[in-house]
Amino acid sequence: MTAKQFKFAQIISAFVIAIAASQSVATNNFLLLVIVVAVAAPILFWVRSQVKEVMADERDYAIGGIAARWAIQVYSFAAVIGMVALYSQRSINPFYEAIASTLAYSTCFLMILYTLIFRYHQRLKFLADKTAYAAVGILLIIVLIIAGIRLFSGEDDWICQGGQWIKHGNPSFPAPQVECRK
Amino acid sequence: MENRIKEFRTKLGLTQEELAKSAGVRRETIVFLEQGKYNPSLQLAFDVAKVLHKTVDELFG
Repeated sequence: MTAKQFKFAQIISAFVIAIAASQSVATNNFLLLVIVVAVAAPILFWVRSQVKEVMADERDYAIGGIAARWAIQVYSFAAVIGMVALYSQRSINPFYEAIASTLAYSTCFLMILYTLIFRYHQRLKFLADKTAYAAVGILLIIVLIIAGIRLFSGEDDWICQGGQWIKHGNPSFPAPQVECRK
Repeated sequence: MENRIKEFRTKLGLTQEELAKSAGVRRETIVFLEQGKYNPSLQLAFDVAKVLHKTVDELFG
């Protein structure tokens, strides 16, 4: 298989996943998306293994590094400006605060992740001590657990009760727009 | 970086594609190398020199 054919397969996979994602959202059936991704990922890995020619070399990796750094900087800069603008306008539309929070958290997460990966490749990669690898892994898991608890704990959220959305704690975002059927 | 990759490659009758394949890189990298628009790693310099049966010094010196 050639690199061109592999890229074509990638585009087809992206289309199929996008269709599954839109269907999942429309029908509120996210199992469909999980199944499609679970099937598509190993197929793509297998197709990738069939490509015999060089897909990327040191020049691509160097350019990729520069592009990634620029992308992070541009995203962070735009997200911070967007966050400030949306927070300042939250009295107009309460949804702005939720969007601003998402931008703020995603920017912080992206920067932490970038720093961790950068430090890993800068220093720890050259250490023979395996505990350093474990330390980075544990740190990353702790960060993910904290983020998960914060996001999915159910504190400061809207609860569906008796056909109405009822405040639980002090959510920073308005009640969901979907119909409450419990 | 000025180099003589193109000169030695054509002398051997190799195409850019063939040189790229032997050196384990993409053809575009060879194009940029020959144009002096890309400074290769030491490893790639050695790989290209080996394919062309030259020393790194002969290629880039």
